[in-house]
Amino acid sequence: MSMIEFRAVSKVYTGRRVIDALSLEIKAGERVVLFGPSGCGKSTVLHLITGLVTPESGDILINDELVAAGGRILREPEQRGIGMVFQDLALWPHMTVSENIEFGLRARKIPDEERQKRVRDVVDLVGLGDYLNVRPGELSGGQQQRVALARALALAPRIVLMDEPLSSLDEALKIQIRKEILRLQCQLGFTLVYVTHNRDEAKQLGTRTMHLRNGRIDSALNMDHTA
Amino acid sequence: MEKRLTLATAAALLAVIGLLPVLAMVASSFHISGSFSLKAYQALLASSQQYALLLGRSVLLSFLTSALATVVGVPLGVLVGKSDLPWRGAFAVLFTVPLLIPPYLIAVAWGAIVGKGGWISQAFPSATSDLLSAAFFGLPGCTVVLFTAFMPLVMLLTTTYVGVVNPRWEDAGRLVSRWPHVLRRITLPLITPAILFAAVLVFLLAFGEVGVPTYLRYPVYPLEILTQFAAFYDFGAATAAAIPMLLVTLAILALEYRLLHNPILELRAVMPGATRRQIALGHWRFAVFGTVLGWALLTVVLPLAVLLIQSASPSAYIEAFSRASGSIVRSLAFAVIGATALTLLGFCCGYLIHSRALPLWRSVDALALFLFTLPGIVIGIGLVSLWNTPMTNAIYGSPAILILGYLAQYTVLPMRITSASLDSIPRSLEHAAQLGGASWFMSLNYILLPLAKRGLIAAWLISYVFCLRDIGISMTVYPPGSDTLPVRILTLMANGAPSLIAALCVILIVVTLLPLGVVSFWLRHSARQS
Repeated sequence: MSMIEFRAVSKVYTGRRVIDALSLEIKAGERVVLFGPSGCGKSTVLHLITGLVTPESGDILINDELVAAGGRILREPEQRGIGMVFQDLALWPHMTVSENIEFGLRARKIPDEERQKRVRDVVDLVGLGDYLNVRPGELSGGQQQRVALARALALAPRIVLMDEPLSSLDEALKIQIRKEILRLQCQLGFTLVYVTHNRDEAKQLGTRTMHLRNGRIDSALNMDHTA
Repeated sequence: MEKRLTLATAAALLAVIGLLPVLAMVASSFHISGSFSLKAYQALLASSQQYALLLGRSVLLSFLTSALATVVGVPLGVLVGKSDLPWRGAFAVLFTVPLLIPPYLIAVAWGAIVGKGGWISQAFPSATSDLLSAAFFGLPGCTVVLFTAFMPLVMLLTTTYVGVVNPRWEDAGRLVSRWPHVLRRITLPLITPAILFAAVLVFLLAFGEVGVPTYLRYPVYPLEILTQFAAFYDFGAATAAAIPMLLVTLAILALEYRLLHNPILELRAVMPGATRRQIALGHWRFAVFGTVLGWALLTVVLPLAVLLIQSASPSAYIEAFSRASGSIVRSLAFAVIGATALTLLGFCCGYLIHSRALPLWRSVDALALFLFTLPGIVIGIGLVSLWNTPMTNAIYGSPAILILGYLAQYTVLPMRITSASLDSIPRSLEHAAQLGGASWFMSLNYILLPLAKRGLIAAWLISYVFCLRDIGISMTVYPPGSDTLPVRILTLMANGAPSLIAALCVILIVVTLLPLGVVSFWLRHSARQS
């Protein structure tokens, strides 16, 4: 079953075609790494999947359901069941760790008790420890990374997108977090789309890598390792 | 060295021009006939009930104005700054117009609609029109007029700050919830400091306003100071009465600083590559558009149209020019000179804030903001206290005193605009010039000034508008025979024909808005060509 499908999707920014009639298919449970130089359209692909960006043309399907077509958004971002870890993590600085994680649960009006339980579960899952009542600014880089992961996973999404989330970490921490991501993906079974321009990261994380150039897939490679 | 010396001179100038008059006013309130005395304060306390009542009215008027401006200005700012509302650029310009003209012009226009003998009285039974008229000439009328005049401040600050919230924070929220929830829980809490700052600014501007309460005959505290000074010639009472206003301003600014000095809430610069998202209004788009359009027509277009219709006869304009041509020319001349001086001083202070080249940069910023929020009438009394001496009469008796007043009150405007413009220029450009052996003046001349040109033009224009619309300082210190157009209109209101007053109001609006329109057109044209 295909979890994400692009059919001739194009996106233009200020007169420049960033994504050019891109077609791709990602199966449920796959770990796909989008790889390529800066400005090749990797992050735009993620934003098109989320629905934060509207394509000029082409169709986008999520879980076999049409979510964008003919230059129109048919399913709003919050209706797509997607979690995302942003490049700068985008943790809300005025909220505590707990408030960051439960934001989406609150928006869905999940009762207090259930919400607290899910926050605790996801915090245990990412190994965050006892930092629920501090603000993100008081945490180390690695801890912030775990909060971002916990927030992305709090609603048990079918798809998790990661936009170069490790770029600001040192090498040792990168290796550790990559392992965590692999463990979480195996445990929870979500479809992972990971953007990077780091070749090693692509090799380690992806079951498939797609090399993007000028808004098109230049080459796709199935990795022969399993997690 | 030359840089530090120039900046220190500018900081000292601001202190001499702005702070010294305030200190002189405080000192002179304790002196009567050359010796220390508390008589002025004893007299103030003797009439404390009356002063407390006036102060209470001023606080109530300011609070209502500020609350209303915030309740309407914030959603409007979000709509203009973040949504796909049609004509949002035009709405931003339209709603800003009342801020650029003296607020009492709006009161004059509404007076022609709801006042006795106004349009409403001709269309409705006398009981209804009497009720409306009675409400208009009082607290409700003052509140509505000042709200229309100052709401754009809240709207503009909201629009600006929703634009600098890191879009990724909103994106992260949008993945799990709808825009209203994201706005309520993420965007608005993050820009709370800006919203509160705008609310405080509106409160203080309404607090010091004299033109509207004068026209609408609603006695407030600043009017009492003016009465003591201009009608009873009791300078001691006027200075003593000004002190509580000074204290209220200081207290509110201190409270604002204490509440908002929270590093968690400080906004971060937008990540490179992050794209701002627009709120799609969807099927609400045209309903919201209709509401905003209706609101703009009612609060901005209607008052301006009333003034135009009321003055629509050649005789009204002929009389206006014959009775106020001197005031028109003087207003323009003072505004041009004032704006030029403000841009120079504002640039130096703005550079100081931007570069933090001297340790006292924060004090300069705070002083300029404090002087801006101080009621114009208090600054006016301060200028009289300092400069009305035989030795300095050459300045006090000339229009230079008005320019000093403008510099004292409005330096914060060009200063903040300059500082923001310079912040957008990479520091490395100036450093490269320095490494190439350029002096500071050379770097300014060849690097910073050309790059900050648009900001400086904006600073000059805003300064020009605020000098032209000034009433508090001008009314207090204008030398005999040197009144400005806003003062002239206010004095003619007592016995001038409505068509004459309307014509003068239209002239004032045109001379205020025309340069803005011409320069914006020229800037757009040159930007398109380049």
